[in-house]
Amino acid sequence: MAIYSFWIFDRHLGNCIFDREWTLKSNQSSGTTNSKLNEDTAKLLYGMVFSLRSISQKLSGEGSHNEIRTISTGKYRAHILCTASGLWFVLLSDLKQEDLSHVLRYLYSEIYVKTVVHNWFSPVDFAESDSEKRGQGFRKIRNRNFLASVERFLGPMVN
Amino acid sequence: MAIQTILVINKSGGLVYQRDFIKTGAKLSSNEYLILAGTLQGVVAIASQVTPKALQISAKTGSKTANEPSQLIPYVGSLGAPAQNLSDMGSFMGQDFFNESFPSWNQSGLKHVTTDQLSMFLYQTLTGLKFVAISTQSTTNAMAVSIAENLLRKAYCLYADYVMKNPFHDPEMPIKCELFDTHLAELVGQL
Repeated sequence: MAIYSFWIFDRHLGNCIFDREWTLKSNQSSGTTNSKLNEDTAKLLYGMVFSLRSISQKLSGEGSHNEIRTISTGKYRAHILCTASGLWFVLLSDLKQEDLSHVLRYLYSEIYVKTVVHNWFSPVDFAESDSEKRGQGFRKIRNRNFLASVERFLGPMVN
Repeated sequence: MAIQTILVINKSGGLVYQRDFIKTGAKLSSNEYLILAGTLQGVVAIASQVTPKALQISAKTGSKTANEPSQLIPYVGSLGAPAQNLSDMGSFMGQDFFNESFPSWNQSGLKHVTTDQLSMFLYQTLTGLKFVAISTQSTTNAMAVSIAENLLRKAYCLYADYVMKNPFHDPEMPIKCELFDTHLAELVGQL
């Protein structure tokens, strides 16, 4: 098992509300969380998923549902979960991981829903005004419970 | 694995060839296919930019030789091999176009996309030409990926034979070549 990074995008076109990147395979606590330096990468990643998602929806024809699942390149594989509320969960792993959709589903239903959605102190929407929509947002998930659960769940998979 | 569509994209991102092999698939207009080709070209470029930091660091610290062998694509035998008529191999001798593993020229760009219903495979050549196959089966299996790479390399062999040797063909322009059409249909039909 090796995963490289984990990203959450909200429904406001390109707002990244959480990112976690591990930089050393040997060290579970290495890397960055909600880093400013990752903003550009987040936008590129969003753009890549967005364009391939629109291609896949076009290719499926009218009516039927065709969501994107994985994107592989020569070096890594991105696993994607799109929820009906417009959230995207993206997990980057090495090429040995064939399908991590169960991991993404767990991250959504057991970690995100329980620590962010069920939390009354956490904002429902991470963009508070119109000027923070369309990729201009800067608010991230800083909920301690969420960060700890993500770390506990994904940490052992880093190597 | 049934191949729904094969596309060829030139080095500037224009669609030069598109063909559907099954009738049931979604019907896209030629304009939509052009947009699709252009989008893919862009995504291939973006995909190499998003390479995780962990990989960038391990590449710097010099495990390059460890990475090389994984980029070899195994030869999948008897895939779309002409069973009886050997004369139909064009200028290629022997039972098949090639019979050993080959290196991938697409080191860090987009290779493979899966969705709920389809998967899409990309084969890139050194000259920047891209072959795209859309299959009606969604799989991330390493075997399926190498089968697709083999198939697209064979399509490239056909391209080299019947398109590049056509004096009426203008590079970078859409491919209108009957021999390429028929041989590609045969190749996909044998799968």
